[in-house]
Formats: sequence, C-alpha cells, structure tokens
Amino acid sequence: MGVAIGDLLERDEISRSDLKGKIVAFDAYNVIYQFLTTVRGRDGKPLTDSNGNPTSHLSGVLYRTSSFVEDGIKPVFVFDGVPPELKAETLDKRREIREAAHEKWALAMERGDTAEILKYSQAAVKIDPQVVEESKMLLSLMGIPVIEAPSEGEAQASYMADKGDVDFVSSQDYDAFIFGAKSVIRNLTVSGKRKLPGKSVYVDVLPEKVDLNKNLARMEISKDQFIDLALCVGTDFNKGIDRVGAKTALKLIKEYGGYAEILKSKGLDEQIERYAAAKEFFKNPPVTDDYTIQWTKPDKEKMIEFLCSKRDFSEERVTSAWQKINAAFETKTKQPTLDQWF
Amino acid sequence: MLKASIDIDLLRDSITALSVIVSEVRLKIKPDGISVKAVDAANVAMVIFDLKAGAFDSYTAEETEVGIDLVKLNDILGIVEKKTLVDMELDMTAQKLHLNFGGLSYTLSLLDPSTIRSEPRVPQLDLPARVVLNGQDLKRAVKAAEKISDHMTLGVAGDIFFMEAKGDTDQVRLEMGTDQLIDLKSGEANSLFSLDYLLDIIKSAGKANEVTLSIGCDFPILIEFDVAPNACHVTFLLAPRIESD
Repeated sequence: MGVAIGDLLERDEISRSDLKGKIVAFDAYNVIYQFLTTVRGRDGKPLTDSNGNPTSHLSGVLYRTSSFVEDGIKPVFVFDGVPPELKAETLDKRREIREAAHEKWALAMERGDTAEILKYSQAAVKIDPQVVEESKMLLSLMGIPVIEAPSEGEAQASYMADKGDVDFVSSQDYDAFIFGAKSVIRNLTVSGKRKLPGKSVYVDVLPEKVDLNKNLARMEISKDQFIDLALCVGTDFNKGIDRVGAKTALKLIKEYGGYAEILKSKGLDEQIERYAAAKEFFKNPPVTDDYTIQWTKPDKEKMIEFLCSKRDFSEERVTSAWQKINAAFETKTKQPTLDQWF
Repeated sequence: MLKASIDIDLLRDSITALSVIVSEVRLKIKPDGISVKAVDAANVAMVIFDLKAGAFDSYTAEETEVGIDLVKLNDILGIVEKKTLVDMELDMTAQKLHLNFGGLSYTLSLLDPSTIRSEPRVPQLDLPARVVLNGQDLKRAVKAAEKISDHMTLGVAGDIFFMEAKGDTDQVRLEMGTDQLIDLKSGEANSLFSLDYLLDIIKSAGKANEVTLSIGCDFPILIEFDVAPNACHVTFLLAPRIESD
C-alpha cells in the first residue's frame, strides 16, 4: 500500500489542537481500511451487527470523525474513483495476498491460534462496495462533505490542498507527496496505541506532520527528483528496481539525476516507458473542480434510524456523537477568509 | 545577492513578528531592504513585513527572491547571545544562506520559492475608525478575553475604544478613552476576531510602544506597528469572524 519512502522523511509531532479550525482532507479508502483492520472487539474480530454484517467502518466513521469535529478539525472525505490501468498489477497482487490470507485465517481458526487469527483476518480485509456506500451514507447523514475523486483520492486531496481549499491531506501513505501535497498529517485516524506489524509490541502513536519542502531541502533534491526517487523504490503504478529501497534510491538520484539515467545504468532501458507513464500520472492525475466543501446540520433521526434500528448501535452513543458534531455546526460565528475583501 | 550585518535582537524580533502566521515565506530582497507579503494557510490573516536597509549595520543587495523556512531560522537565531552582530550572506548558486555570529557559522538550505504560496494582493480597505494605543494595553485586553472566549470584539463608540469578549456565562470589557489612547479617529467600528490569531499577533505587537488599529464593521482589521522605529515595520490584516444565522 503506497510507496515505501517513510524512512527518508523527517516528521514533526503535533497535537490535535494544532489542527483546530483547519480543513483536513482524509483519503477515505485509506481511513476506512484502517477502521476495518483496527476497530475490533476484545476478541480481535471485526465488529458486526446481529446479522453478521461488518460495522467496524461505521463505528470508526462515527466515533473518530465526531471526535475530530469536537476538537475543532473540519474533516472532508475524498473517495477513490476509477483506478487507473497502471494500477492493475498492484490490485491483482493485493487480491492474491488477500486470498492467501483468507486461507491462512481459516487454518488459524481451526488451530485456535489467536495471534495468527488477528494477523490474517487483518490481511484479508477488503473494502467492498457496500462498505464504501455505507460509509458515504453515514458521513452524509453526519453533515460531513464527501468528495468523489475521478481517480485516486490522494491525487484529488492533494489538488484541493494546492488550490488552498483544504489545509492538509491526512493519509498513512506517502503517495500524496508524489501527487504534489506540501504537507501530510499522519496517524490522525489511528488511536493512541498501535501494534507493530507481526510483533506483540504496542507503541504510542501520535499525530505527525510531514512537510515536503523541508524534507526536499534537507535531502537536497528537487520535487521532480523526489517523484523519480519514488518510482525507483516502486509505487502503486510501477514496479521499483530490485533491491533498491528508499535510501539507496536517494543515493542513486543524487548520483544520476533522474530515473531514466538510473535505469539505463542498470541496463533496464525497457522499463523507461513504464516509469514515464507512471510519472506522467503522478504529475497530471485526473482531478476535478466539481466539488463543494460545506458542512451541513447532522441529521440525528436518520443517524439513529440507520445505525441503531438497522445496525445495532447504542442509541445513547450515537446521540452523544451527534451532539459533538451538532455543537460544532451550531457555533454562532463563522470565520470567512480574506478573499471576500479582494 | 545579499551581504549584510545586523544586530541579533533586531533580527530576532523582526523574524519572530514575521513568523506569527506563516512558517515558510518568499523573502523579496532589494537594494532598499527585505520585504514579505504572505497569507496563512487558512487565508484568514496576512502579514506585510518591511525590514529596511537602514536597520542593518551594513547592507549590500541586488534584487532577488528566496524561500526561507522560518521555523529553522528562528531555531538558529534562538541560540545567538544578545547584542551579537550577525553576518548574513546568500549563496544563490548553492541555494544556501550563511549566518555567522560569535565564531559560529551556520548554513541554512533555502526553499524553492515556487513551492511557497505566491505573494498575495493586498485588499484596499476603507476602514472608518483608527486607534493608536500602547502594545501592552492591547495585550492585556486580548489575554483577559482568552480566559472566557475564543473570540473578541474590537470597536469604537463615540470617543471610546472598546474590546469585549463574551463566553457562555461570563463577559469581559475594556474601555479606553482619548486620555488613555495615543490617538483616536472616531468612526463606526465593531468587528469580531478569532483569539487564536490575536494571541499570536500580540506576541509581537504587545512589545511595541505604539500599535495602530484600523477597524470597520464586520471588516478585516489592520494592526500596524514598528518592531523598531525606522527599521522594521509590520502590518497584519485579519479577517473578522461573522455572526451566522
């Protein structure tokens, strides 16, 4: 999932209060995937209603989003549209991994191996159309803007940040940087403690801000070279160079200048065309100006009807989440921008 | 090109004032000084910054534009002892700013200006009331308002300048007449502002002997002051909060 360049980037720890009043565009698929893998019952199983339908995504959307709003953050959710053809291989690979995880999950269930059950049940998570539609519906009932990207959600979110319509992009991946985002907020949607993958170790997870310009200045490379670096490591749209991780890629970029020269030096000329196509996609992804960022009054009755009558949520907790969002909506003053006076 | 020397206290106070609403800026370097116009990420506040050539002990510059990370620069300036002279030199080829002080030599990487928001246009505002007061008085009122609300009203009624904040249950009001103000031009003025911004702005403005406020009704406020007279002038423009239905 996403390009593995995290080791190269310095981050600043921030607190949620630093984001008060800021508009944050969430990469919705990324967030929902996290909810499906991390919002679980005490037994490690995904949350479900009495009919066995998953509710982890709804629980995450409701409680996490309302707590952001309570802290003064103004969330916007950007959903992926049609995946580009370039992504087909990545999507096939993800499907294979999921299918293998499903089999291992079943075997772990037979053995009663709790750690393995959790590991493979998380790896088997798939965001199906129903999960997406339900998440969009709940967000709309909560009055939170839902934006449909023509293609990649992170590309659209980065475009909106570049236009100044949102202040930050929030995602666990670093792809937003390759799409042009100047600063990305990480760890906002994951709660205080997180289990390290494959280990029984839990670490404190705090929100952090990663600033692209500062990192480019520190690494002494241009934005264009940064895209080339990512391509060498491997992205969702191209396979990277074998045995080249982030740090090696940085060295290569500094030595050769760009991906084409690196590929040539390794006799991988036939890859240049594919890299060029991926780079073109990162630099000019399909995005749209057809969106409205507006928060509306959350609909308490419909939230209760959807979540409590149909999906077994507690009315008391849904009401409490509604109160948090409604309090922010009902705030008596609004902050217009200076644009109004130009 | 830039080669200059400046007293650390003046440089530090100037850069602190500039850093209030932005963390990265495009510095416009000209033979007559260094200037910045920038808006914050939310488009709510603007800073217009002017550090004159006369503020420097020595100053030679050709016109150019560079991108600066103010957080890093502030960090570096934070360790310089008072009354030290700081030598600055730009290396445009290597895209570095060299800072030398007290035997220490710092090299700061410049940011690519094209990655920083471009300089905004400054709106022409006709603001009816103008108040000149001591920075400390403004700071006191903003600090008092912070205790009970997240926004405050600034306005003029007749010959009285008032600052008022209302919380859910409490309220605070400070009135100043012409005898307590340095100057007052009366006019209809009553606008509400976010304390998040005012609290940041008074960190600098609170130290100034004279702060000039230009206010209208539900209009942006202009907050102007000298960090040092005839050396560094800063103007903030802050959009008001508007009562919604």
